Amino acid sequence: MAIDVTTSAQREVMTAGIAPPERPATLAAVAAPGKANLFRSLVATRTFMALCSFALFVCLWHLVATWVGNRVLLPSPVQVAGALYQLGVEGEIFEHALVSTTRLAISLAVAVALAIPLGFAMGLSDRLNAYLDPFIELLRPISGIAWIPLALFIFGVGDALPVFIMVYVAFFPLLLNTVAGVRSVDRKLLNAARTMGVKPAPMLMHVLVPAALPMVMVGFRLAFAGAWSAIIAAELIGSPNGLGFAIEWYRELLMSPKVYAFILVIGVVGYLCDLLLRALQRVLTPWIEGTELA
Amino acid sequence: MSSIVTSIAPPRLSRRAWLIQMTLVPLVLIGIWEVWAVLANDPRAPAPTRVIESFIDLVAHGGLILATLQSLGRVVSGFAIALVVGVFLGILMGSVRWVRNLLDPIVESFRPIAPMAILPIAILWFGTGTPAALSIVAYAAFFPLLLNTVHGVSQVDRKLVLAASTMGVSRWRILTNVVLPASLPSVLLGSRLAMGVAWTAIIAAELGVGAKSGGGGSGGIGAMMFVFYAYNIDLNAIVVCMIVVGVVALLIDRLFRFAERRLMPWRS
Repeated sequence: MAIDVTTSAQREVMTAGIAPPERPATLAAVAAPGKANLFRSLVATRTFMALCSFALFVCLWHLVATWVGNRVLLPSPVQVAGALYQLGVEGEIFEHALVSTTRLAISLAVAVALAIPLGFAMGLSDRLNAYLDPFIELLRPISGIAWIPLALFIFGVGDALPVFIMVYVAFFPLLLNTVAGVRSVDRKLLNAARTMGVKPAPMLMHVLVPAALPMVMVGFRLAFAGAWSAIIAAELIGSPNGLGFAIEWYRELLMSPKVYAFILVIGVVGYLCDLLLRALQRVLTPWIEGTELA
Repeated sequence: MSSIVTSIAPPRLSRRAWLIQMTLVPLVLIGIWEVWAVLANDPRAPAPTRVIESFIDLVAHGGLILATLQSLGRVVSGFAIALVVGVFLGILMGSVRWVRNLLDPIVESFRPIAPMAILPIAILWFGTGTPAALSIVAYAAFFPLLLNTVHGVSQVDRKLVLAASTMGVSRWRILTNVVLPASLPSVLLGSRLAMGVAWTAIIAAELGVGAKSGGGGSGGIGAMMFVFYAYNIDLNAIVVCMIVVGVVALLIDRLFRFAERRLMPWRS
């Protein structure tokens, strides 16, 4: 059940866990002296290559932008940087980013409050799971985006719509991963604790929660990724502020550099939030470092 | 709490008990919904019976089927573009280390940018027609395809590749006969995930394009939903569209799972 949605977990395996396969050493590599060696060791470091790739990307972008020569269609990186600076000085970026991240935090909190207790209950009780699972599987294929028109009608344009959509989107990965996490708890641990007379409440706090936490954290990161993607759609269609609104607003004004600047901000904020979640994951579940779930 | 510890072997259910378990909660909720709609006494309030009427109506007019097919057509073409580009780049990044180190930062920085964030640019470049929707679908489907292909290719057993090259097999044939089959499970998993996000993305794109171009324009089921919201104010029809969206998503998922089982019988 959890495997279906673990792309990001797999991704982690790729970047952190397994080293990429070595290419068979060529003759040149053996014979390369002096300067070439320095170059080679530079190429081998990630940061250097990352810098190279960003530099290449910006150069390419600039060249294409010059070739297109249309400020509205494709502004150059310099123009976008200028727009970014201007928006930053005026504080508009921080305003919209704050609105979006606040909504994100609220909806994730609501989703956690709803999904995790329910997930524990469904993971612990086969009967509850048997009754609720069909309903959840019925609802799950309907994407959060498809709720937007109906939710627009119910909540109108404003804060409630993006929050509702994000809670809906974040709910399913959190719930399913919590259920899977609780179910994967080693039965021997539970039996051992029971044999030693551990009461239900300490059992929950000291055995079940720590054992299920890694999967819950994976679910949380998936929930975040889904919600961050959904908020843009929700704000773009039905909100008077936020990052999603901002890109569409400046598109309508044909102020493309600002559109690109805001898209950049969406990427950066998303990336920073993911870094934060990874740090949280390391703090809460340090023991899973280097496993599939990390 | 004690139930999980004791229920090592779940009791076998009779067919009837299983059927009750499967349908009880959904049926009760649908019943509550119907009662609520009757009590609300508003002819516009969506109710299960009206949704069914609306469904029959929409199918009879042919509009719903046409819109669904249009959306599906866009998803498939966008997916095809992403498949070609994603798998090609994925193989390259999975097998050549410096390409991967070079492209990885770029891919990683685009990944947190939602497909819908690309919509304003897509509208600027392509207008409000099919190409804009298509580009968003391709963008959305690209990442799962690429990442899973890279993962699959880089996990191919080196011994197999070395054995083949020892026996003098050309690089091209190693790629097509060793690396590709070995990474097929990952590519298929990536395809299934990609198709899922592509279907979500097309609804978002059509909704967004519909919302921003004053309704209609692009067609497809997402635009249809927006027209029902903004012009006809027909909530039952919106619910019908939502259900269709869900059913199509489910069918796509099942189709890919079936393909996975058929193409890789050794996995299950």
